[in-house]
Amino acid sequence: MYSPYFLTYMLAGFILSVLVFLWALHAGQFRDQKRARFLPLDDGAEGPPVVVSRMNRIQGYVILGLACAGLLAMAITLGYSILTAR
Amino acid sequence: MSKSQFTAIQTNSTARGFCLTSAFWMVIATLAGLTAATELIAPDISGNVSWLVFGRVRPIHVNLVLFGFVTPGLLAAAFYFLPRLLRTELYSEKLGIAAVALWNVAIAAGIIALAAGHSQGREYAELIWPVDVLLVITFALLFWNLIMTVRRRQEPILYVSVWYACAAVILTGVTYCLGNVVWKPDSGALVGIPDAILLWFYGHNIFGLLLTPLSIAVAYYVIPTAIRRPLYSHTLSLIGFWSLLVVYSHIGTHHLLQVPVPTWLKVVAIVDSIAMVIPVMVFLINIWYTAKGSLGEVHADIGAKFVFTGTIMYFVVSIQGSIMALPQVQRVTHFNNWVVGHAHVGVLGFAGMIALGGLYFILPRITGKPLYSRFLADLQYWFVFLGTIGFTTVLTIVGLIQGNAWLNGEMIYRVLPELQIYYIMRAAVGLTVFVSALIGLYNIVRTLYFNPGEAA
Repeated sequence: MYSPYFLTYMLAGFILSVLVFLWALHAGQFRDQKRARFLPLDDGAEGPPVVVSRMNRIQGYVILGLACAGLLAMAITLGYSILTAR
Repeated sequence: MSKSQFTAIQTNSTARGFCLTSAFWMVIATLAGLTAATELIAPDISGNVSWLVFGRVRPIHVNLVLFGFVTPGLLAAAFYFLPRLLRTELYSEKLGIAAVALWNVAIAAGIIALAAGHSQGREYAELIWPVDVLLVITFALLFWNLIMTVRRRQEPILYVSVWYACAAVILTGVTYCLGNVVWKPDSGALVGIPDAILLWFYGHNIFGLLLTPLSIAVAYYVIPTAIRRPLYSHTLSLIGFWSLLVVYSHIGTHHLLQVPVPTWLKVVAIVDSIAMVIPVMVFLINIWYTAKGSLGEVHADIGAKFVFTGTIMYFVVSIQGSIMALPQVQRVTHFNNWVVGHAHVGVLGFAGMIALGGLYFILPRITGKPLYSRFLADLQYWFVFLGTIGFTTVLTIVGLIQGNAWLNGEMIYRVLPELQIYYIMRAAVGLTVFVSALIGLYNIVRTLYFNPGEAA
């Protein structure tokens, strides 16, 4: 009979999550969200300069295209497979 | 503390340690995967060498990928960006180095034990009790270091990456204890159905509460930094974080739809699996809108390029995962190689890609020099990318053949010969990924220690 242990764990997790959420609310973590968007840009860690080429853009579109084609192919094969399975 | 002072005092020893850990274990992990794939083509190839049989090599591959390659790669990036986002220094680099050392001892001990035949025999929870304890202690050290850094922060707002990274470490520490039933050192397991429920709660959460939040944390840091644009919406990112916590933790039972677990638990698992679309799309819309119009800049930085591709793979694997939780779909896709293909998109294509992206993004920043070879990093990118596509295609086809054959009542001796050619292709793809790991290790070691490039 493990249900009491599972329930205890779930309850503990739920209470802890609520407590952390309440702390965040109280500590103003959900305020000033506009400034929060900029935090990674102001961390004092400059990387090497990047040179953008036309090829870089093309690579991006190729990968997106491949992902869409892959998803479409997967959806078609899965649909066909489920519909034809006896 | 001024920006220049802050940058100067960072030694990044912990991040460096995790970089090396990830690069090294990726080589061993992919070698184990290649060995296992070869044994599926030629089962007698390892002869009577006990530590090379499939039943031992496969868990070595899985555990090394999860805990040797991907997690340390993501932790390397986390230990780099966390102090920066909090505008302070890491609480203790010594503690960090101790954690890196302990982590490597645990992984090495676990692999030796698995090779020697000492296993708990539960998927993703094969590592034996002493190793479990070492890993839990390491998670505790990591969390202490992170949370104390948070306490000493000079930036009052916690950027979303900080939330994700801290949550991943503490939640996994706890889930690891439970999933490996550490209070039962002799077996590391419960009995019967409760054990299956607990195991898949843990098994899926290794992905959902460790790899996913750490990967998202890295993506939320790398993409805006690389293209020098603010995040599209921080509010949206926090909605994604809290909804991930609510939804992801109960979906493990979708692995057990064919098992006599309580129906209400199956329903919860299926509903939440579908609801995963919410945190997934919140994250993807946010990160893609941030990168909108800057695809050129994303692909000009090799780290961001890896990470961005990882986000696309996340889209694929998440949509797949939600659909796969439906019982009607599982009739065809469960208990066969479809699931293995799904796991490869998730762990290699999504989390692995982002881990490598994190490494390549931070390396020039922690060494102050450009990468040893951008060409080799690009080569590794294409090998891993094509490897992921190859695994997905081949294993999906094999899975559909197996699933349909099972549904149609085909005999196994008629099906196995049909699969042989795909297993050969799978091993070929595995060889590609193994070569990419060797390239990565060479490039990373050269960048860290033998880099002739001029300081930026």
